[in-house]
Amino acid sequence: MRLKGKIALVTGSSRGIGRAIALKLAEEGADVIVNFLRHRQGAEETARDIEKLGVNAQIIKANLVEPEKIDAMFETIASNYGRLDILVNNAASGVARSALDLDTRGWEWAMDINARAFLLCAQRAVKLMGERGGKIVSISSLGSFFVLPDYVAVGVSKAALEALTRYLAIELAPKGICVNAVAASAVLTEAIKFFIKEQGGQTPSWQMTPAGRMVTPEDVANVVAFLCSEEAYMIRGRTIIVDGGTSLAPFKFTDEGG
Amino acid sequence: MSVEDTIKGIVIKIVRCDKKILTPDSTWQDLKADSLDMVQILIAIEEKYDIEVPDEDVQEIKNFGEFVAYIEGRLAKKS
Repeated sequence: MRLKGKIALVTGSSRGIGRAIALKLAEEGADVIVNFLRHRQGAEETARDIEKLGVNAQIIKANLVEPEKIDAMFETIASNYGRLDILVNNAASGVARSALDLDTRGWEWAMDINARAFLLCAQRAVKLMGERGGKIVSISSLGSFFVLPDYVAVGVSKAALEALTRYLAIELAPKGICVNAVAASAVLTEAIKFFIKEQGGQTPSWQMTPAGRMVTPEDVANVVAFLCSEEAYMIRGRTIIVDGGTSLAPFKFTDEGG
Repeated sequence: MSVEDTIKGIVIKIVRCDKKILTPDSTWQDLKADSLDMVQILIAIEEKYDIEVPDEDVQEIKNFGEFVAYIEGRLAKKS
């Protein structure tokens, strides 16, 4: 139990990668605050599963596009816990558009949720971490570096998130706060599981990795938990890639590795 | 204000369409609402009424009139 007694906030943790991270941190002993926007049932289910692990959970609804809602979320955390040890910035959204079709609303939507909310949450988290220090981990995407179809809004906002991770890592280092990010390739979520089932149970080749399977939410959660532990103390401002080797072998390969 | 008027106000503000073109028969295509408009409309309605509106349900809805009836149904279940 590497995180026993810690208080962690995981944004966007009603389902998918955020839920897996929340459960992993709970498994490691942390009390977890589950932030959500639209999926209350999912958030409640995540909270119930966290409590089954013998730690406390609280759900907080907050639209991270609105700074005043972020303020309210941190005021609730301050009054309920008085401190925060871990912030996992996972909540994300975007629009599927090419660069030439992207309008200001789509741009701002992606930037506000994926980059600005990270800054605002980190600023408020630092106050609650105080003299004890803490850990901040953001979830990025390979689209921050690689060009993916119709992914420009999210890709650029994730690049901003990774740059902000580096700046915060240095600025917050004297406060004993470690800041890092995790970037995953396509993750095996419920939506993709359904797609695979519909396709007769075969993982499509474009989803396969050199490691022989898709990345799962738990793969991402394991790395986040490590970055939240003291074992990762000397890792600062880095984006750890969790992709089964995909980004090293961008060309199509076969089962024989050719 | 009725549920219909409240939803109308939300849709007009987000989609930025003329009040006159929004009728019970209007489809999202008629209103030129894109996926971001839809997400923002649903967030605003969920916030206003403290309900959950699954995306899957909304995909089945054909026009504005059906959408209002669906939300009214959710509110009736809640109370």
